[in-house]
Amino acid sequence: MSVDSQADVAVDACQLREEVKSKYREVALDPHGKHHFHTGRYLAKRLGYDDGFVGSLPDAAVESFAGVASPFALRPLARGERVVDVGSGAGFDSFVAGHQVGPSGRVIGIDMTEEMLAKSRASAATLGLTHVEFRDGLAEELPIEDGWADVVISNGVINLCPDKPAVLSEIRRVLRPGGRLQFADIANGKPVPESALRNIDLWTA
Amino acid sequence: MLAQAGFVDVEVGSPVDTFGGASGEAKARLFEVFGYPFLARKPA
Repeated sequence: MSVDSQADVAVDACQLREEVKSKYREVALDPHGKHHFHTGRYLAKRLGYDDGFVGSLPDAAVESFAGVASPFALRPLARGERVVDVGSGAGFDSFVAGHQVGPSGRVIGIDMTEEMLAKSRASAATLGLTHVEFRDGLAEELPIEDGWADVVISNGVINLCPDKPAVLSEIRRVLRPGGRLQFADIANGKPVPESALRNIDLWTA
Repeated sequence: MLAQAGFVDVEVGSPVDTFGGASGEAKARLFEVFGYPFLARKPA
């Protein structure tokens, strides 16, 4: 299994970022459109999220979900914990985190796509969640102070970042000593040819 | 990669067939791509 085979590949980071933004702008605006991955309630069920809680969320909070597994599968969050969601998209995992930590906790979702941020903020307002907020930012430059988080979560995001060591270093910076990184991501069992890794279209295809 | 970044107590959960039935399934099957949950800790 490999999760780091893309780490040393020279792709244009700015171009890749724009491709990712473009793809996830589509997912925000047209969640039921033609995508190469599942989305929404069907995907949440497929990945093992709690049916009862997902069913309680409005469509806008779930329909653009495009995760790859559950960051909560190995360990649920505890009441009162402070959580950062790296690449929070339309907010689905942040809302799950907000439910698990409760009103005494706090969740900050970070995303770089304006349309996703607008959607997540609107859903948080609809749900009346004052302990869940969303900020504009990059995984490589999280707008969070040093050591603030008890837990960092992320779902299907790190694989889309060309400089994974930089992202992990930034996550480590915002975690308190003893804090946890709970993330979901894809990994390949067979090596991907370098020519394919250099094809930026395949990173989001 | 997680250990190199200074994380400890790394756990990897069971694979999930993330792309099964989606239009990206063929590419996922070609390289045996699955979704996984990961857990790691920053040393105290």
